[in-house]
Amino acid sequence: MSAVESQGVALGGLEQAELPVARTARRRRPTARSLTLRIVGTVFVLALLVFMVGPIVWLAVRAFSGLWQYPQFLPSDWTLQWWRTVFDDKTLGHSMRLSFEFAPIVTVASAAICLPAAYAFSRFNFPGRRVLLVSLFATNAFPKIGLYISMAGVFYSLNLMGTFLGVVIVQLIGTIVFMTWIPTAAFSAIPRSLEEAARDVGAGPLRVFFRVTFPLAAPGIFVAMILSFLAAFDEAQGTFLVGIPNYITMPTEMYTLVLNYPEQAAAVFSILLAIPSVVLMSLARKHVMGGKLAEGFQIR
Amino acid sequence: MVLPPVAVVAVFIGFPVGAAIAYTLGKTGGPNSTVSLLAQRQHVAHHGVTTAAYREVLGNSHVRADLWATVWVTLVTIAVVVLLSWAIGLYLRLSDTRISRIVSALSVIPLFIPVVIASYAILTFYASQGFIKTLAYHLGWHSFPTLGYTLWAVVIGEIWVNVPFGVLMMSSGLNSVPNALIEAARDSGASLPRTVRSVLLPMNVIPTVIVATFTGIYVLGSFTVPYLTGPSAPNLMGVSMANFFSAFNQPQQAEVMAMIVFVLAIGIGTIYIWANVRAAKRASSTT
Repeated sequence: MSAVESQGVALGGLEQAELPVARTARRRRPTARSLTLRIVGTVFVLALLVFMVGPIVWLAVRAFSGLWQYPQFLPSDWTLQWWRTVFDDKTLGHSMRLSFEFAPIVTVASAAICLPAAYAFSRFNFPGRRVLLVSLFATNAFPKIGLYISMAGVFYSLNLMGTFLGVVIVQLIGTIVFMTWIPTAAFSAIPRSLEEAARDVGAGPLRVFFRVTFPLAAPGIFVAMILSFLAAFDEAQGTFLVGIPNYITMPTEMYTLVLNYPEQAAAVFSILLAIPSVVLMSLARKHVMGGKLAEGFQIR
Repeated sequence: MVLPPVAVVAVFIGFPVGAAIAYTLGKTGGPNSTVSLLAQRQHVAHHGVTTAAYREVLGNSHVRADLWATVWVTLVTIAVVVLLSWAIGLYLRLSDTRISRIVSALSVIPLFIPVVIASYAILTFYASQGFIKTLAYHLGWHSFPTLGYTLWAVVIGEIWVNVPFGVLMMSSGLNSVPNALIEAARDSGASLPRTVRSVLLPMNVIPTVIVATFTGIYVLGSFTVPYLTGPSAPNLMGVSMANFFSAFNQPQQAEVMAMIVFVLAIGIGTIYIWANVRAAKRASSTT
């Protein structure tokens, strides 16, 4: 096997990490260099572990802690009483139910509004296409709190303050970028020749869409829907401003909880609030990691 | 077909933003009449426009401190997120071991956790009785500074929240570089740093720009992270905006601050759009 071939195998294969190390190591000072790199790598991974997971674990432990004195790494006393406190609290239960009502409605509404547009953005090259695609980005560029304040003014005039519809609209705003950009990239990734081939063998436009285009774009749309659901589910500021006092969802409740409840109750509530995110993101993980999200943010 | 989302954005973002611009310039009528009804310290323009609200806000030393804090936190966060995303992205690109898979899983964890909870978790982790202080104590460093409720905690929170997007963008970008190119560079004797500089870096300008700009815009407009983890003053503009609106009942001043942040965000957004358009032009000219 030539050098080029063995390199190719190494890069495509399992031992890629060793490649740069092994290569220089073979030439000079083999053990010292690779050892340093290995130590640096291990420290980096450990630091990343603490940085990324540490806060979550620390908070999760708190949800089961009775007595916990500084400077001890773990509580000296474990309890489930904070879970009872949260489950017995009627307002908290109500806010959980509300959250699960809003998020699906917002996701479906967002899909209905944005998916046809995503299809058009990817399939038709009309004048102003790129400008419009970028203009949706305005939803991200304007500071949210400033936007909500000015929206509140308009909402007062439209009698949307404190209404169900008002909250749906506020949450919808945060989903539009996901729901347009990611499916646009997903539709664009489908070769037109596939659709043309289906049409050539006699399939009608609708049939082509539902039998060819849609199934191929489905992973991208799925990622967009999950991200939209979570964006709506986690939206706190706008919901707080528009929904109060009738519609307090879980994340909005969190602001109050952090300030007014014992730390342990807030920790329990945090875990409950994180469950939907963890479950849904786990479902979409493969596609998100596979680049569906990244593709959506490169405008073509 | 494109109309519905564009219309939603126009009605619920374009229109309020337009109204807000008019309001900051002293126009209190029309859509601003409800907001201006109870507002305090308003600057009203009876004829034409007035920049009095802008002058008042920019003349306020507390606001200026918040503005500098915002710029500082934004720049530090962008720098760290870009570096970290590159480091992790490169590692994942050049290596496929069990450890690299762990690193890849670790770096997307924040996607799974709502921002409210992340901020709260980070606050308790770096608080005066948090894990980091506890660890420092056991290592004998009793005077380790408390990071909770400081701008450092805000920076940490913003980095934590923005890392997954950065890593996903960078690894997607780095994965699109063919192995053959990397091998060719390595075979002609280029060291790994040289390969990164002359092959991987030039081919990943766009993903890097996207990571930097989106992180910047996110930090500029963020509220939850600085609100929960940051100091009471100076804090990021998002928090002081909310204070001016609800606590001080000065919506006009709050909107002026929103405009200032918006202008900064537009500046960053322009870089993003410029980079994308340039790349699209280049792509269409080569094919």
